[in-house]
Amino acid sequence: MGDILFLVLRRLRAPLIALILIYAISIAGLVAIPGVDAQGQPWRMSYFHAFYIISYTATTIGFGEIPFPFTDAQRIWITAVIYVSVTGWAYALGTVFNLSRDPAFRAAAARSLFVQRVRRLREPYCVVCGYGRSGREVTEALDRLGVRVVLLEVDPQRVALVEVQPFSRLPIVLVADARRPESLRDAGIAKPECRAVIALTDDDETNQIIAIGARVLDPVTRVMARISDARIQDSLAEFGGVQVIDPIHRFAQVLQASMISPIAVQVEQTLSAAPGSPRPTSSSLPRGHWVLAGDARFIQPALKAVLATGQTASASPGEVGEDDLRRAGLDRAVGLVAAASSDADNVGMVSMARRIRPELAVVIRQNKAFNQPLIDTARADRVFRQSAVITPEVLSSLTTPLLARFLDLVRDLPAEEVQRIAALIESVSGDRSPWIWTCELDPAGATLKMLQGEAKSGLRLSELQCDPREPTRSLPMAPLAVLRASDGPGGTDQPGRVAGAHERAAAGGVASESALALRLAPLGRLIRAPLQVRARTGLTALGRTGTLSDEGLPAAQTMRWLPSLDLELAPGDQVLFAGAQDLQFLQRRVLTDPTVIEHLRSGAEPPRSAVFRWWAGRPRH
Amino acid sequence: MNLEKVIFGFFVVLACTLNFGFFIGDMTRHELHHPGELFAAVVVNLIALVLKFGDRTQMGAIHLGTSLAACLQLVTAAVLWRWVSGGSDEPVPVSTLATVVSLSGGALVANGVSVVLLIGETLRQSR
Repeated sequence: MGDILFLVLRRLRAPLIALILIYAISIAGLVAIPGVDAQGQPWRMSYFHAFYIISYTATTIGFGEIPFPFTDAQRIWITAVIYVSVTGWAYALGTVFNLSRDPAFRAAAARSLFVQRVRRLREPYCVVCGYGRSGREVTEALDRLGVRVVLLEVDPQRVALVEVQPFSRLPIVLVADARRPESLRDAGIAKPECRAVIALTDDDETNQIIAIGARVLDPVTRVMARISDARIQDSLAEFGGVQVIDPIHRFAQVLQASMISPIAVQVEQTLSAAPGSPRPTSSSLPRGHWVLAGDARFIQPALKAVLATGQTASASPGEVGEDDLRRAGLDRAVGLVAAASSDADNVGMVSMARRIRPELAVVIRQNKAFNQPLIDTARADRVFRQSAVITPEVLSSLTTPLLARFLDLVRDLPAEEVQRIAALIESVSGDRSPWIWTCELDPAGATLKMLQGEAKSGLRLSELQCDPREPTRSLPMAPLAVLRASDGPGGTDQPGRVAGAHERAAAGGVASESALALRLAPLGRLIRAPLQVRARTGLTALGRTGTLSDEGLPAAQTMRWLPSLDLELAPGDQVLFAGAQDLQFLQRRVLTDPTVIEHLRSGAEPPRSAVFRWWAGRPRH
Repeated sequence: MNLEKVIFGFFVVLACTLNFGFFIGDMTRHELHHPGELFAAVVVNLIALVLKFGDRTQMGAIHLGTSLAACLQLVTAAVLWRWVSGGSDEPVPVSTLATVVSLSGGALVANGVSVVLLIGETLRQSR
């Protein structure tokens, strides 16, 4: 606020000096001019009286002639004073009002207020750059999770939209160019409460600059950037530490997977959807010749993906007419990808193509949310929206990074394995999307020690599923995967094992998961709302700086999908569960109450206190 | 039925009821506060305290805390009574009696919390 005051004072310098001079001359005049008192005796006004009279006269309040009626000389002086001083005030006030409407001043004031509000934030928050469609969806989703959002957007009109959105807590917004480092700094990315910087502007290069700026300003804060340009992706990978979100590549991936293994797509969509929403139906796209038309940026990766499945495809970039479609082989095509950057073009293209080949499978790109009715008329087999890809990806890597890794894994699995995963998910959540959570055992092993007690056998995965109210009963939750820091004993019988994420990332694909994502795991630090708090059992959350040291980097992490229920858990294990939301809380009770596992193993309620243990003739522990 | 639960519940509730029995009545009237009742309350509270030792659950920790609070107040009340009366059969001054009874009132609150915990725990787990 200091700089604002300074600016105001500087702009008011002239009017203030004018006012002071006017007052001084007026007061001096009143003191100098002799008056008379009630008895007609000569009387001189004191400075205090003069100041009092000028004050109420200059501000047009006008209490009258105090303490004695004025002489004519005094009245003449006062008359002059009225005109001059009122003008002086008008000048001063006019300057103030002008200043308050001055765009430069308003921007400075807004920024100052913004900086103050960010500085006062004492809860976890994310910085979102760009309030386009995906920016808005991510902001809304974070708001629903109870995470504060600090928003940087360059377009004031978009910022105005923030005010009318039904956020539970309004994002802290600044109209600013996030490419400038000072904007990022003002948005508080270097504060310990800042959990992530998410660059979601429309422009790849802007996102790149934001990402690099954020990394340079604060190497600890996690950075995500939406970037589709392969060249920029490469340069960012070189730079390191930025998690790239590439909706176009993801679109190509989904297209490819829909042709090879639709069940994998279904699993991915089920797990990424909001818990409780209806499970997406699995529909495969036909194999054969595909025609891809529209935005070149979009269809090139898709073309590569389709060709990689061993099918034929031809692309037709740019403006597309009937001839272009025919030339691309529409007459023998089984499917069409309409990916122009205008929704009307896409719908037009689809109806044109359907006239030629009515049985065509259609994948359509939707550009604007408000064009939903238009897109619906195309009755496409698949609708692709960029924001629909970005939001789940951002959220899952913020809240359940393990899920993001699991989904990466699912994409590479053979179909029968994916089928088993799908069946397992269905067994716990039916035709709805399940609630997903990570159960994390503390690396020091305190939880395991407490739960095992004196028993020789370690905690088994199945024991995490027991019902704390009735331990012999097993709760309907599905352990989808176990992530282990290093390959410990007890799980070697597992067929489902893959190499650490680093090797896989090196093997191919986008750098969808940076090393940073692996290191910044704990969700408990991100989100305070009880619903999202992980079933953390130890208090060994990695320190903010500690997470970045290379020593802390898990060298060989292995992920097992569909772990056997007999798997013995080791300290530091992370288990990805799917099930109903309340089961996470029941599971937390299992992890905090040692009597549950004891009851499960012995089949009877264990004696709880020392006296009763002695009474029962058990060894003390 | 679990014998442990029976014994535990018995002592926790008895600690509370004896405490209440001593506490109830006008603070300044000797005939309403019998020292024998205070003695019984102290003994039963101490037993309840010992029964709570060694429980590793969270609930157990809070149970132990409430019992410690109750015992602290009741023992203080008993010691104060003995100190002022000096072992004679003369009734203690009214001010002392009021202090003793109000201390037992504080212990009653702690015992009440203990009983609430017991009920809550029982309702929560159906095993």
